[in-house]
Amino acid sequence: MVDSVPLPWVLIVAAGLFCIGLFGALSRRNLVGILLGVELMLNSVNINLVAFWRYLEPNLVAGQVFALFVITVAAAEAAVGLAMIIAIYRTRLTVNADEIDTLKG
Amino acid sequence: MGMFLLYAWLIPALPLLACVLITLTPIRQNKSASGWLAILLMAAATVVALGVAWEVSQGVHVGADGHVAIVAPGEHAEAGEHFSFPEANIVQTFRWAPAGGDLSFTMGYMIDPAVAAMLAMVTIASTCIHLFSMGYMAHDRRQSRFFSFISLFTSAMLLMLMSSNLLLFFMAWEVMGLCSYLLIGFWYDKVYANPKQIAPRQAAIKAFITTRVGDVLFMVGLAYLWTEAGSLDFGSGVGQIFNPEFLERIAHTETALGISVATGIALLLFAGTVGKSAQFPLHVWLPDAMEGPTPVSALIHAATMVAAGVFLVGRTFPIFEVSGALPVVAFVGAFTALFAALIAVAQFDIKRILAYSTLSQLGFMVAALGIGGWVAAIFHLLTHAFFKALLFLGSGSVIHGMEATVGHDSNTSQDIRNMGNLRRYMPITWITYMVGYLALAGFPLLAGFWSKDEILADAWTNGHWVVWLVLTLASFLTAFYMTRQVWLVFFGEFRGHHPRAQEHAHHAAHGEHDEHAAHGGHDPHESPWTMTTPLIILAVFAALAGYFNHPISGLPGYHGLAGFFQAPSGHFDVVVMVIATLVGLAGIGAGYMLYRNAFATADALDPLEQMMPGVFKALNQRLYIDQFYGATVGTFAYTLALVWRWFDRRVLNGLLNGTGALTMFLGRLNFIIDDTVLNDGVDALSDGTNLMGDATRQVETGKIQDYASLIFMGVVVLGVIYLYGFGQ
Repeated sequence: MVDSVPLPWVLIVAAGLFCIGLFGALSRRNLVGILLGVELMLNSVNINLVAFWRYLEPNLVAGQVFALFVITVAAAEAAVGLAMIIAIYRTRLTVNADEIDTLKG
Repeated sequence: MGMFLLYAWLIPALPLLACVLITLTPIRQNKSASGWLAILLMAAATVVALGVAWEVSQGVHVGADGHVAIVAPGEHAEAGEHFSFPEANIVQTFRWAPAGGDLSFTMGYMIDPAVAAMLAMVTIASTCIHLFSMGYMAHDRRQSRFFSFISLFTSAMLLMLMSSNLLLFFMAWEVMGLCSYLLIGFWYDKVYANPKQIAPRQAAIKAFITTRVGDVLFMVGLAYLWTEAGSLDFGSGVGQIFNPEFLERIAHTETALGISVATGIALLLFAGTVGKSAQFPLHVWLPDAMEGPTPVSALIHAATMVAAGVFLVGRTFPIFEVSGALPVVAFVGAFTALFAALIAVAQFDIKRILAYSTLSQLGFMVAALGIGGWVAAIFHLLTHAFFKALLFLGSGSVIHGMEATVGHDSNTSQDIRNMGNLRRYMPITWITYMVGYLALAGFPLLAGFWSKDEILADAWTNGHWVVWLVLTLASFLTAFYMTRQVWLVFFGEFRGHHPRAQEHAHHAAHGEHDEHAAHGGHDPHESPWTMTTPLIILAVFAALAGYFNHPISGLPGYHGLAGFFQAPSGHFDVVVMVIATLVGLAGIGAGYMLYRNAFATADALDPLEQMMPGVFKALNQRLYIDQFYGATVGTFAYTLALVWRWFDRRVLNGLLNGTGALTMFLGRLNFIIDDTVLNDGVDALSDGTNLMGDATRQVETGKIQDYASLIFMGVVVLGVIYLYGFGQ
């Protein structure tokens, strides 16, 4: 079981997923797309956490618990993020990240 | 009993109330209402004052605790003893201001017999003058203002009489100075065609400044007395200024000048009298005070202002008595009496003659004080107030009547050369004026006869021969110039229809009487009842006031005033009385002989001028005293002003301009340093900051993904450092 899929493979999948998420988060102009990218990155981290637990320390539950926490936080983050997007849309009638540059110096 | 004494504070308070009400309430817009208000309150004050006098004559004493007792008048002090005031009938004081240590100034009033007599005189005379003003000032558009002022004037005089210490006395004295200024300059917009003729506002300033000379010395005297006695309270108790031990001490303490302290204080106080009572050499203001309305002249000459000066010496007489100042007082008084009588002989203005007569009579009073005749002086002050008020109001009535004929030019309407035979037109004025004239001239059995005689008798029996001689001469002249005046005014032919030509053809407009400028050319007429009633009242007093203090034993009123004052009575000498009577009759006779046929026309020369033109001109020009003051004091002040102006222009202005220039230069220097060093440096600093900011802000795009990529780059860098920096 342990040997069926070696750990590096799982890590490669997670790394790939992270890169896809990162690219999405940095390149999408739509705020929802950025949020999606962030979710992808969080999930890749989750894969890492679960993989290390499974392959290295299967007697401890810390890895699983931590992954559960991340999922919870991600859900909250998505809720807050979407709420902000709606608020921004209501005031500015846009969800394009390039047009929201209030912090420009 | 004692009610009037307890409420005596109402006497000055009521006229003051009139002044306040007229000044501050809309009553002032109604001329006759404000006048009647003032008269009413003045009459009320008179009632209180008469009540006070009656209670004092009954010997009512009110103690500090309000306890009323009746004390029989004590034995008259024997001649030769030191003069002392009887115990005051009431003293009401309160603590006013701390004066260092446990001492405190007190304020309050005290009434003794002399004060009570003065209060009665001032209120009666003042009420008459108020009533007279109602008619005299009827056409004046500032009538309310006039009544406000004369009420304040009377109030100040009454307060001064009642004051319990010299400080309050001085305050009231100064209020009177202010009122005299306001009232003499009452017609402040009046101008004369001749620029050399003194206008009311100039006369007001002259009066104020001249009396100021005396007042400053008076104040110095008060300060001196305060440092010596530590108190200014009247009274002979411990710590008060008439305390026998204190008087003893100051009489025997020598000052650096070689005179005793008492003499120094007395002379300084007397300087106040010289200013206020217009004694030589500060007499110049009083004749020019004639520029005020005639009721004011009556008020100043009879009831208030000048009486204050004599009263000051009378009030502080114990100090004078222990000092060496009395000969000076006697000399100044006697000199003024003769000197002013001489000038009065050669005046033509009806009011100016009376003004010099007042000077002369004040000289009598001051001289009487100087020879120790305290009762005689106060007696003459009282009788003189009545007949001089009568004469002034009578002259006002004459002027008022004359204005119907010659118009409202005071130079014409007051000139006795333009009058004559007025007894036919103004009978009441004539009869009352005759009473006043005979009283002043010392005609037997009228008021002036008794009081003047007492002064002369005091001088004679006390061995002051020079004073006696001078005063007798003065009383001869008094009878003479008064006869001259009365003859020219009331007898002979009426000359008013062809008055003297004025030196200046253009008569100045008389602002107050514009509405009446048209009238003229009529015959003179008698004055309205408001003016004649006071004349009649005053005539009664002028005729009978002497009987309060006549020297004929056996009749009621024998030395009545002396008994009332509880002071040594005056002396009586048949020789003196006969001489005085003969001298007075001689004066009247000389005046009659000389002026019987004088002035067929208004332009004729005065008989005296025909006899001795040089002397007459000198007297007519008031012995050149005014010119002398103008040439000395006036020129000195003018030169001083010129020097000051030069100093101001050259030195002070130079200093000021130099300081300005220096400041300008320093400012310039500062500006250069600031501009080059400080400004440019700071500018460069801020420019640099701006540039830096511009460069840095490019990083801040505001785009969320730029920030995210930067964060990721940071993570990568940290990761690299972690892996390769710390790993091995």
